[in-house]
Amino acid sequence: MSADKTELATLDGALGAETPLPRDNGELVFEEPWQGRALGMGVVALQRTGASWTEFRRHLVAAIAARRQREGESEATAYYAAWLDALEALLAERAPLEEAE
Amino acid sequence: MTHDHDHHHPRPASAVELRARALEALLAERGLVSTDAIDAVVELYEQDVGPQNGAKVVARAWADERYRERLLTAANEAIAELGFAGAEGDNMVVVANAPAVHNVIVCTLCSCYPWPVLGLPPSWYKSSPYRARVVAEPRAVLREFGLELSDEVEVRVWDSSAEVRYLVLPLRPPETEDWSEEELAAIVTRDCMIGTAVPIAREAAIA
Repeated sequence: MSADKTELATLDGALGAETPLPRDNGELVFEEPWQGRALGMGVVALQRTGASWTEFRRHLVAAIAARRQREGESEATAYYAAWLDALEALLAERAPLEEAE
Repeated sequence: MTHDHDHHHPRPASAVELRARALEALLAERGLVSTDAIDAVVELYEQDVGPQNGAKVVARAWADERYRERLLTAANEAIAELGFAGAEGDNMVVVANAPAVHNVIVCTLCSCYPWPVLGLPPSWYKSSPYRARVVAEPRAVLREFGLELSDEVEVRVWDSSAEVRYLVLPLRPPETEDWSEEELAAIVTRDCMIGTAVPIAREAAIA
């Protein structure tokens, strides 16, 4: 668990001001469970692939720019939807899902 | 397994939710990311991490003089007593405010932060202006946070690092003498434990 915790501690700093995690009064906002799971997937996948948060953020910045918030969609939904895009893009580079082990 | 399959779901899942589940299933299938590992991370975020942990530590220290002593001499062990474990290698140091001493924490290098007790740092904590200025002109910075300190109060700035993380033990407001630990914890905000605010008794009385 300590590896996860260390990762979490640096997560916020790594994402920086450009792509901060959605939060309310300092607390993270998960409106629906899948958003928390998306975050969890990112944390674990980066550990497993050895990718850095800087690398992930590059994909996240691009995904946010490409996707934009849709009508009737909350900020957290838009953010974590882009997060999934970014994670897929990163995995496509790092550990192509089509490729058999 | 804590999550339902699609056909057990009580309401139609949104497209993005389905995508999240599909990706998770794919990652699990490839052996890259296990559901249990994700569960652990999510749980950590949702339940274990947050300023309320630190608030409980402070409230206990206010209510129990011997706990306070342990907290100030061996913070990691004292914090662990309440069930809040730090990350391995993190050395917590608790610095106590006194009538003539006010403490404030910063990480001038990056954004080291006592997150097991405070959750994630606010964005201003990581901003360059705060990191640079709180060291050079702490009184001016604290004034901008609405904290006016008299000239007699010495301000001590503690620079956190990967090895040492500081937490401020604020002064207990005198009018809280009869309060329960729970009531006390409710007035200890994140900023009080960073040192950019002090607890105010009135807030909890209203809430």
